[in-house]
Amino acid sequence: MSLYELMFILNPDLGDEERERFLSRFQALIEKNKGEVLKIEDRGIRTLTYKIQKKSKGRYFLTYLEGPGTMISEIERNLRIDENVMRFVIINLDEQQITRDDICQVEQPVTEEAGQDQTTEEVPHGHAEQ
Amino acid sequence: MAMQSSRPPRSQSNPRYRPYYKRKTCRFCEDKKLKIDYKEPNLLRDFISDRGKILPRRITGTCARHQKVLALEIKRARIMALLPFTVHD
Repeated sequence: MSLYELMFILNPDLGDEERERFLSRFQALIEKNKGEVLKIEDRGIRTLTYKIQKKSKGRYFLTYLEGPGTMISEIERNLRIDENVMRFVIINLDEQQITRDDICQVEQPVTEEAGQDQTTEEVPHGHAEQ
Repeated sequence: MAMQSSRPPRSQSNPRYRPYYKRKTCRFCEDKKLKIDYKEPNLLRDFISDRGKILPRRITGTCARHQKVLALEIKRARIMALLPFTVHD
């Protein structure tokens, strides 16, 4: 069992209903292959830096999966068949010391370095010393 | 290489000439928290030329270890259309 990061670009012209249907089919596919979807993140519609399938926009999805290697080849095959998937990238996270817990807790990143910038204002010394 | 042999660097011809420059350091060694990630195209943009090519280490000052990761992540970002392969006029 390995952890994987999968990013794919979906056809932006797809309706909400069709998109939901795609995602549920995607989830079913993973479960069928003894995998688990840890997280699915809709990153919204973004302008592509170059056109893909004559489209200049795409809907980005970022997902984290866990499962055996056979699941990955099956996902790859299916994503390639689906015309609504414009691009995808699968990365094995095993080398990057990322664990399940890291992925599940990234939900609310706490920003500690908020008001820590020091604005040392120079006090003007306009008085002549005696 | 042919260019270098025809005109040796000035520091060689004149030992007293020493050009002033700020030593470039690897940004990823300086800031350990800075992760090289294909999902951050704005960071990666600093390391590609305006033509979209990956800049060499000698220009950006990146260390060998990080340049290797950087190149991989830039290529991933290109596949996902987050960075350009080429920039045309």
